Amino acid sequence: MARLILRVAPWLSVLAVALAWELFARSGAVTPFMLPKLTTVLARIWADAGSGDLAHNLGLTLYRALAGFAVAALAGIGLGFAVAYNRAARWLFDPLISVGFPMPKIAFLPIITLWLGFHDVSKISMVVFDAIFPVVTATLAATLAVERELLWSARNLGASERELLHEVVFPAALPQIMTGLQVALPIALIVCIVAEMKLGGVGLGGAMITASRFADSPGVFAGIVEIAIAGYVLVRLMARVRARLLAWHPETAAPASV
Amino acid sequence: MVESKEPPVKHQIVVEALSHTYRPARGREVLALEEVSLAIAPREFVALLGPSGCGKSTLLYLIGGFLPVERGAIRIEGAPVAGPGPDRGIVFQHFALFPWRTVRANVRYGLEKLALAREEQERRAQAFIELVGLTGFEESYPSQLSGGMKQRAALARTLAVDPKMLLMDEPFGALDAQTRSLMQAELYAIWQRTPKTVLFVTHDVQEAVRLAQRVVVMSARPGKIKATVDIALDRADPHIYRSPAFAEKVDEIWNLVRDEAIKAQ
Repeated sequence: MARLILRVAPWLSVLAVALAWELFARSGAVTPFMLPKLTTVLARIWADAGSGDLAHNLGLTLYRALAGFAVAALAGIGLGFAVAYNRAARWLFDPLISVGFPMPKIAFLPIITLWLGFHDVSKISMVVFDAIFPVVTATLAATLAVERELLWSARNLGASERELLHEVVFPAALPQIMTGLQVALPIALIVCIVAEMKLGGVGLGGAMITASRFADSPGVFAGIVEIAIAGYVLVRLMARVRARLLAWHPETAAPASV
Repeated sequence: MVESKEPPVKHQIVVEALSHTYRPARGREVLALEEVSLAIAPREFVALLGPSGCGKSTLLYLIGGFLPVERGAIRIEGAPVAGPGPDRGIVFQHFALFPWRTVRANVRYGLEKLALAREEQERRAQAFIELVGLTGFEESYPSQLSGGMKQRAALARTLAVDPKMLLMDEPFGALDAQTRSLMQAELYAIWQRTPKTVLFVTHDVQEAVRLAQRVVVMSARPGKIKATVDIALDRADPHIYRSPAFAEKVDEIWNLVRDEAIKAQ
C-alpha cells in the first residue's frame, strides 16, 4: 500500500491541476471558448486519435523534432571535439558559439524561411540551429575537463592518440555530453512547434494555429495537452537512455530525481 | 649519503642534471627541479621523499615520459625517454581507474593493447585480480569500491602488463591509516614475488623507511636532492615498526626533512 502511494504521489500535483481545470471550467466563471472542460478536450484528443489526425500531426512533429535533434546531437558532439582538439576550429567556432548561444535563434526563422522555404527542411534546420548549442558547449566543456591522470594511464598502458579519443575522452566526457543532449531534446521539441506555428501546415503546432483561426478552442487546448504528453514521454525516454549508457555512474545506482 | 656520479653497477633508470620549469597557464613560472641526478639499479626499491611542492611527482612524471625533458637527461636502460611506455607502469594517488569499466575490464585494458588472445587476456586479468585480493569484485565498477580496493584494482591494472619498473605517485596517500598499512605490507609482498624496480613517491617518512631500500630526500623549491639514505632493515618483519633500528632511521630522515617541510609551509 505504502509503495502504491509512493508511486502515485508524484502524479498528485498533475491530478490536482486537472481537477481544478475541470471544476473551474464547469463553474461557469468562464465561457467554454476561453477554457473548455478538460473532459471535452480529452474527448477531442480521443476523436482525433480515432480519425488518424493525431497520429498524422504528432508523427510529423516528432519526425521534425527528432530528425533535427539527431543532426544537432551528431554535429554538436563532432564540433565540440573539433573545437577542443583543433586550434583552427577553436579560433573559428569559439567566438561564434559564445555569441550564438545566448541569442534567440528563432529570430532567424524568417531568414531560414526565405532561404529554405516553408517545408520540412526549414523546420528541421531551425531545430538543428537551436538544439546544437547546448550539445557543443557540453561536449567542449566535458572534453577539456577529462582528468590528466586518466589520459596518462591509458597512454602508459599502450593506447595510441586515436584510441585515447574514443576509449578514454569520449566515455569520460559522456555524462556531461548526455546532460547537454537532455537539455537539447526539449529545446528541439519547443523550437519545432514554434516553427510549425509560424509556418503552418501539418504538425501539432500548425494544427493548433489552424484550430485557433477557426475559433476551435478545444482544438487548441488538445494541442497543448498532446505536446505536454509528448514532451514528457521524450524526456523520460532520454533519461532511460542515460541510465542505460551510464550504468557505471554512481548516479545510476541512486538517481537524484523521479 | 652523497650522490655518486659514477654508478658502480649498471643502472636501469639514470637521471642526469635534470631541471624542469613548471609553467602554469596563468601566474609565475616555478623552477620545479634543479640539477637532479639519480641512478636506480634494476629491482631496487627507492623512495622519493620530500615536502609537498618539492617536485618529486614532477620527477616521476618526467621519468614516466608524461612531461617533456627540457634540460638534462633521463635514460631508461640506456635509451633517452621518449614518451610513456608499458615498461614503466604508473600508479597514481587517486587511482585513475576508468570509471566506465568494471574491475575486470580495467585490468584487461593494457592487455587488450598487447594483442593477446582473448582467453589469455582474461586469464591474466583474473590472475592479477586474485594477486591483489579482489576476487569476487571482478564485475564491480570503481564507484562501487572503497579507496583501498580502488588502489588494488589500479595496481592490478598496472602489474598485468608486467612492467619492469613501477612508478608510484603517493599511491597510498588517499587511504586511511589502517588500509595504508595493509597496502604497504601487500606491496612489499608483491614486490618480493615479482621483483621490479620501484620508484615510490611519498611524503610519509615511516612509509619510506618501511618500504624502500634507499630513501632519496628532496629539498623544497626548487627541488634538489638533499641526501640519499640506505635502509638495511628486515622488511619482512611484521613488527618492523617496533624495532629500534626503524625508529633510528625514521629519526635520521625526519631530521633531514624537517627543515624542508618548514620551508615549504
